[in-house]
Amino acid sequence: MATIAPQPPKRQLSDNDIFAAMEPHDSGAFANNTTPLIRNTWYACARSTEIGRTPLARKFLGVDVVLYRTLDGQPVAMRNRCPHRSFPLARGKLLGDKLVCGYHGMEFGTDGVCSKLPALANVPATASVRTFPIADRGPLTWIWMGSPDLADEALIPDTWWLSDPNWGTVTGDFHINADYVGMHENLIDQTHFPFLHPDTVGTPEYARSKLTASTESNQVVIRRELLNCAPPGVYGKPADIMDKRVDRTSEARFVSPALHTAYARVRVHEPDEGKPGLYRYNITHVFTPETNNSIHYWWFNSRDYLPEDEAIDTFMLEAHTQAYSEDVEALEWINEVVRTDGEEQFDLSFAPDKPGLMARRIMYKLAMGEAR
Amino acid sequence: MQDKYLNAIVVGRRALTDRITEILIAAQDGRALPPAEAGSHIELRFGGEDGRFLRHYSVVGALTAGSAPEPFWRIAVQRENRARGSAFIHGNFVVGTHLRVSRPLNAFRLMRHRPKTLLIAGGIGITPIFAMARSLDARHENFSAVYVGLERATMAYVDELETLCGDRLSVVQTEYDGIPDLKALLAKQPEGAQVYVCGPGGMIEALVAAAAELGWAPDRIRYEVFNAAHSPEDEGFEVRLKDGMTIPIGAGMTILDALEARGVETYADCRRGECGLCTTAVIACDGELDHRDHFFSDEDKAEGRQMTICCSRIRGRVLELDI
Repeated sequence: MATIAPQPPKRQLSDNDIFAAMEPHDSGAFANNTTPLIRNTWYACARSTEIGRTPLARKFLGVDVVLYRTLDGQPVAMRNRCPHRSFPLARGKLLGDKLVCGYHGMEFGTDGVCSKLPALANVPATASVRTFPIADRGPLTWIWMGSPDLADEALIPDTWWLSDPNWGTVTGDFHINADYVGMHENLIDQTHFPFLHPDTVGTPEYARSKLTASTESNQVVIRRELLNCAPPGVYGKPADIMDKRVDRTSEARFVSPALHTAYARVRVHEPDEGKPGLYRYNITHVFTPETNNSIHYWWFNSRDYLPEDEAIDTFMLEAHTQAYSEDVEALEWINEVVRTDGEEQFDLSFAPDKPGLMARRIMYKLAMGEAR
Repeated sequence: MQDKYLNAIVVGRRALTDRITEILIAAQDGRALPPAEAGSHIELRFGGEDGRFLRHYSVVGALTAGSAPEPFWRIAVQRENRARGSAFIHGNFVVGTHLRVSRPLNAFRLMRHRPKTLLIAGGIGITPIFAMARSLDARHENFSAVYVGLERATMAYVDELETLCGDRLSVVQTEYDGIPDLKALLAKQPEGAQVYVCGPGGMIEALVAAAAELGWAPDRIRYEVFNAAHSPEDEGFEVRLKDGMTIPIGAGMTILDALEARGVETYADCRRGECGLCTTAVIACDGELDHRDHFFSDEDKAEGRQMTICCSRIRGRVLELDI
């Protein structure tokens, strides 16, 4: 007689199981303009020269913040909202290192603790306003809007070239009505160059140059190499090599939710006597979401030659202001459509969109990791 | 104005020692809680038929070091023999228990960029100190910690703290090692060291005295005074209101809580004798007023015409209030 192995009882599939099986995998999720903003990261809050002895009000990640400097120059960031009756503290005044509320005169020290409450003899220990870790690094000041207990200053992204006297840097800034996820995707997507920026960085053959994309930890890197080509005007003209053949290598990197860096390296095939054979340009895009639909944006273009040359500065400033204005305009148009068009639409994606989707997936995971 | 309190629910409970229980608290609607940083405390309001309680507890911080904020707050409660609030928590809090809880308040701020930070915990005072050690470690700041308790078995989080701090931690078991020499401890700290202490009142006083003997500026020793509303020696008394209503005030209850429970219209905010909102005129008292607030001046207290009903009591049997 054959023995029959005991079988587990057959379980009827319930509707719940079926719907659960139909749920898309979480790995298919990408950050967009509705994803919660990522808090636990260092963001730029201002040019370091913008913060001084006049309280500066600015909004980061939807939170109103006031920035100022102490008498010995240390930056301070606190909520721009008195804990008593929500008067904006930036409308008060500085008294030494303390910020005095313009409504009832409560005085707050650099650690946010109230040291004087004119209407009471003793200040309640709980009278304090939230402060945010803040630190200067070269031309920028950085803020941490997340848990202060995780705000390790060693995590502030390194942008040493912005303060190096051997590099010449031009810079500008914008306040943009757009979504910062779209901004990151725009920067790591170089196939739009010939169309949105035909007069500056976009040469036709560049769009078809071989691209490699990879992720390194929570960063996304793309590299391109275009050998034996004409230099693009934006890099060839200031170096005075428009008549040369060059090899053009570039890298673009999603560094963090706050930073995108890129470099372009131009190797001249037959450099003129006494002139460099290699030119390097570092491009630094620093931005902070003000809300899900607005961004503070600072850009820097740095070159490793002729740092004091005013003519080159003027040329670089004009060319890049034009290119980035084109990006800003495009992102604002896109944001307008996404927010106001009555009929929803899912974006199509193509092969060259992979780097942007990689960055958006990282941002989604970072955001969801914080917003549980 | 936003409500200071939100509806919360107990989502976890475990015993840390014979007398200390860890409680995980989440928002009842499942939403993310407002952020709590190292040193923050929350007010817990709870109660049943036995009475109403308000207690302050420091937030211990995430279960996983260095992780993003978790969807709950963690507190640790020591059962005190004569304190009914902690006994109530130990006896009644289970997963699913509903509470009212305040948004986090921080009156015990950890400063940044100090040359050195010294953390000192005594007994259950470890709760804010543990969160501070986590913060300093995550941010690579220079610190050391001293954890004083009767003996290891009575000390919550001692293993976790050892793992986190390594050589930076000294564990003192007074049962075997005796009372630590706080003056010697302070004397060997480098220039500019900032000290945070949480523990029994006597320990904080001894540390403040040691710092004064060494000529330290007072603000180099930071500590938090939770309310003095409850003491094991407290006895019950009675409050009479203008309309003749008489309300018994139990030994572990505040006047404010008892009045609120009876539906008397009151005003209060801090509930720890600082803001003065609950200040009430005294009509008569058959004993001495026992002022426990930091709101009135010594002269005000001596006059005895007003008291803060959130924490002050009487040494007597009947108190008549102008309510």
